[in-house]
Amino acid sequence: MTLLVLPLAVVWLGAALLALLDGRRRFVGWAAVAVLGANVAGLAALGARVTEDGRQELVTGNWPRGVGITLAADELGIIFAVLSSAVLLVALLYEVLAGVRSRTFPSLVLFMAAGLTGLFLTGDLFNFFVFFELSMIPAYVLSVYGDQARRKIGAAFIFAVVNLLGSFIFLISVAGTYHVTGTLEMRDAAERLADAEPASVMLIAVGVFVAFGVKLGLFPFHFWLPPIYVGATPAVAAILSGALANIGAYGLLRFGAALLPAELELGARALVVIGSVSILYGAMQALSRRDVREVLAYSSIGQAGYILVALAVGGRVGFFAAVVYAVVNSANKALLFLTAGLRGWLVGAAFVVGAFSVAGVPPSAGFFGKVAIFQAGVAEESIALLVLLFVGGALSFVYMFQIYQHAFWRPEASAGGREPSPAVLRGLTLGLAGVVVAFGIWPEPLLALSGGAADLLAGDAGESAP
Amino acid sequence: MRTILTETVARLLVAPAFAVAAAILVKGYADVGDGFAAGVVAGLGVLLLFAAFGARATHRVLPVRRAFAVAVSGLLVALVVGFAPLLAGDPPFTHRPPPEEQVVKLGTLELISAVAFDVGVFALVLGVVVGSLDYAARVRKGDW
Amino acid sequence: MILLFSGVVAVLFGTGAFLMLKADLFRVVVGMVMISNAAILALIGSGLSRGAAPIHPLPDDRLSDPLVQAMALTAIVIGFAVTALLLAIAYRVYTSHESVDLDELSREEVRRERELEREEISP
Repeated sequence: MTLLVLPLAVVWLGAALLALLDGRRRFVGWAAVAVLGANVAGLAALGARVTEDGRQELVTGNWPRGVGITLAADELGIIFAVLSSAVLLVALLYEVLAGVRSRTFPSLVLFMAAGLTGLFLTGDLFNFFVFFELSMIPAYVLSVYGDQARRKIGAAFIFAVVNLLGSFIFLISVAGTYHVTGTLEMRDAAERLADAEPASVMLIAVGVFVAFGVKLGLFPFHFWLPPIYVGATPAVAAILSGALANIGAYGLLRFGAALLPAELELGARALVVIGSVSILYGAMQALSRRDVREVLAYSSIGQAGYILVALAVGGRVGFFAAVVYAVVNSANKALLFLTAGLRGWLVGAAFVVGAFSVAGVPPSAGFFGKVAIFQAGVAEESIALLVLLFVGGALSFVYMFQIYQHAFWRPEASAGGREPSPAVLRGLTLGLAGVVVAFGIWPEPLLALSGGAADLLAGDAGESAP
Repeated sequence: MRTILTETVARLLVAPAFAVAAAILVKGYADVGDGFAAGVVAGLGVLLLFAAFGARATHRVLPVRRAFAVAVSGLLVALVVGFAPLLAGDPPFTHRPPPEEQVVKLGTLELISAVAFDVGVFALVLGVVVGSLDYAARVRKGDW
Repeated sequence: MILLFSGVVAVLFGTGAFLMLKADLFRVVVGMVMISNAAILALIGSGLSRGAAPIHPLPDDRLSDPLVQAMALTAIVIGFAVTALLLAIAYRVYTSHESVDLDELSREEVRRERELEREEISP
């Protein structure tokens, strides 16, 4: 039981303590790394407990169930929690090694980690919103981190406004859920929503979809995304795309598959269309860009489309694909954004691993993401969907190869006067690339955990289906 | 905006504002009120000072520069109180003493751990409000 | 009562959305505040019940729902924090660009990009 709260408590207290100190000093940065490392270790231990004993649950304040706020860890939550904290840890390590440039950076990253840990481990709808805001507010501040803050501030304002609008629409959906079901506990709400009046539940579902679509950067809600990702420093871009975007994927899975399965099925066709447009739009835009970070930003929009399509296919195979793809995609994006800012020997190798992983070439982890997606496409028995997935994959291979060529093969890019980056940073990205390859060679833990999460969601969907 | 009227009103209202804030903070357990509301009311008192006497004078009477430290310490107090029950094996945010037991009373103030939590929230909110006021007050270059 | 609440929420949300479409940064912030208040009102409306405060309930008392009030308070706090943050960002935009007009900002952005491109082409 203590294990469920400890990772959250450690990182939250650490964030508050470090806020008092100047983050540019080296020991503060390393203290933040230590705190976040403890958080990741705690979450990993909790993950081991969850796979052995099943769902862990706790009600705060010794209140009876249904009165206090529920904290709960199941396979779906823990997989995203570990992933997001690990990405944050790598990004923080990168920035500490490169030299932190603002006094608040380490503490902000820890606050975001606290928000994300809480968000993935809460079983309460309103508490979800609170942690959601706790992780978004550091993101608004981090988006102007680094040099040339003056140029980024306009994009940051739009980023903040659009995402806040999404948050409040989500809050209205929470209010609607409470009105319809009279509970905020996710599992009880899921049961009661199944019997509620379909029209009102559909409205709630639309609100939830808009909120997480904005977060994930799906096609019609994506316009804030490219300027932010292009302007951000490598570490911040990795944080936003590798850790924060997980909220969108997790939210769609948790709310769509576990809470609103009937509405998900009803809207499946629309979701497939939106997802497909996202895939094609992201790929086309990425193809036409030359700047590495711009290509990666548009690629993120396309990859979000895959997750949505997998979710819409539904059933065990679809949810499994969505989870695996979300995990692999966030690792890829963290690796690529961190590598994109570096120059020197072996950086190209790390980048190529990430690029292959996005394109789904074995032996990278991305291969299994693509395989899972194709399985979902086969299960749907739709030729059009399979063709789309294939075209999307081929396009991603083309644009990744294009920027690889552009960034690392041009003689002036590799030798053009720029100093090679510090060896530690290159080592870090190589290590991350090693992890991506390792998950491609030995994917069993990832697949087992995702399988558990998919069973959970598919079970929920099966139970409440009429 | 410094006129006799604003200055007199500010002088008359600052002390009551803080008194009301303290009352809201203390009474929050059997009546309307909590740390957040108390923090906002106290922050409004400081806003009155800023508006009536300007940033420089306010800095002279109040340790405005410490606002950030006050806010973070408040957060720390609240978090420590919230997570401390973990050490005793209870879930976080468990009250001490538990609901059935007799509580020590000081007037209307009941000494339970939730009061310490609310004091933390009060410090956090007051610190944030005063900090943002100070940030906004630096805009008026003529005054600084 | 719920109808009244829904009406107010709808008007608030609509006005907020209209203001958010304006180019003036501060109008956008005000629009955001209105939408956050619409969300808070929706929260309160989601559990409307008349009755005594549930602090020392007697068995046959009618109680008001305390949960909505807790949620509304929390949402107010969060809305307060993000409004402060948005105003701070808007103020920074104003001090660094001397303008609070989003159209003007994007025009400046385009101009700067063109300059950068020109530098890249003819170094």
